[in-house]
Amino acid sequence: MERRVKRGVAIYSYSGEYGRTMNLEDCFKDLRDMGATGIEILANSHIDSYPALTDEYVAEWMRLCTAYGVEPVEYGHWIDSRLYRNREISPQEAREKLVNDFQIAHRLGFRILRTKMGVINAELAPMENWREIIESVLPEAEKYDVVMCPEIHLTTVLSDRFVQDYVDFINETGTKNFGLNIDLSVFQNRFDVPGVVVFNPDCKHSQPEEIIPLLPYVKCIHAKFNKMDDDFNELTIPYPEILKILTDYGWEGYLLSEYEGEKKDVPGFVSHELRKQHVMMKRILGY
Amino acid sequence: MEREVIQSVGFRNIKENGEITGFQFKIRLPYYRGVFLSQLRPGTLFIDGERIEKEDIIWNVKGEDFTVEQMKTDFQTHWDVTCPATLKVKKPGGLAQGYHDLKYGFCFTSSYMPPIIQAHLDPDKENMVFMPEFGHHVNERRMIIV
Repeated sequence: MERRVKRGVAIYSYSGEYGRTMNLEDCFKDLRDMGATGIEILANSHIDSYPALTDEYVAEWMRLCTAYGVEPVEYGHWIDSRLYRNREISPQEAREKLVNDFQIAHRLGFRILRTKMGVINAELAPMENWREIIESVLPEAEKYDVVMCPEIHLTTVLSDRFVQDYVDFINETGTKNFGLNIDLSVFQNRFDVPGVVVFNPDCKHSQPEEIIPLLPYVKCIHAKFNKMDDDFNELTIPYPEILKILTDYGWEGYLLSEYEGEKKDVPGFVSHELRKQHVMMKRILGY
Repeated sequence: MEREVIQSVGFRNIKENGEITGFQFKIRLPYYRGVFLSQLRPGTLFIDGERIEKEDIIWNVKGEDFTVEQMKTDFQTHWDVTCPATLKVKKPGGLAQGYHDLKYGFCFTSSYMPPIIQAHLDPDKENMVFMPEFGHHVNERRMIIV
């Protein structure tokens, strides 16, 4: 069977242990051990010299990717629009930070960027001048061969206006350097399961089929999970329906596991939950 | 690094030119990602109940000293999650040998969170909703001066 949908891990999942009981190599070891082949890092979390990049880090990064047979899939970074107290970040400042991230990502072998923009409301609509900022860096994104992807995440739903705005932007500019990262939290339909960390109990959610028209723009998926039962079912997000749509429509790309449940700081807990989730995904995908 | 935000390594008196001029302690960032210094909102320190204002605390990040005022406009220096910051307090004679109770508050902005959640960030008070990925604002620990 052709394996178009691949399994990876966003090492954000290990944030309760990172720097204490796990280092970068431990993350590689753990994800490789469950058969994952791709990794997502967060620039501000996992590159100690950020916003600079050292030759030592690059060498170590290359060693880890080779030693564990793991490919760099997604590079998480931010446009921190509220860096200042009295004003928003200027388009020129945002531009400089973005180009720096493109250069780092490119050197480390990442093509997909999870570009998290500052938000202006509770639906997580992006800052108003996002078009201006993104458009201004498209030539550099092309030069460094990277695709900026805003992450569509709970409390956003797929039918929110600004999701369509992103699609319109891609179509109007014809750019190949902007896409979407869908976080499966947008499909979360249970908020009452014990052990699930809930901040927005009245949150809206999308139906799995709503992802279909967006699939051509989706470069990467955050396989968000909150709670696995002991029979390898996720209890808050309809994984079987979603993954079936991905395979039926021939979507190609990575599911990057992102654990958002409890007990992240208990050593070994997240590694165990990740394995359960990967059993689930293997069973649904059939490989 | 220890799990506790206030680290036991690094808590000691500061000696300058043979004289004890103050004390220092180290904290790690309980957030899952590093922050630029301008994102930080340093708060008040209580040492054995004695109040020390944020303006009287020097932050040392990556080997460089910063006042609270300097940090406000520093959007280039990045405090990493794996590298504790050292906080220095002037106190002639320093702290006595034995136990000391530290209580220190700090927090930070996140541009990807709805502005309403962050409008009233107070380093000395907990947020309305506790988010594990952001840690607590106020951290306490009893530590020992040797």
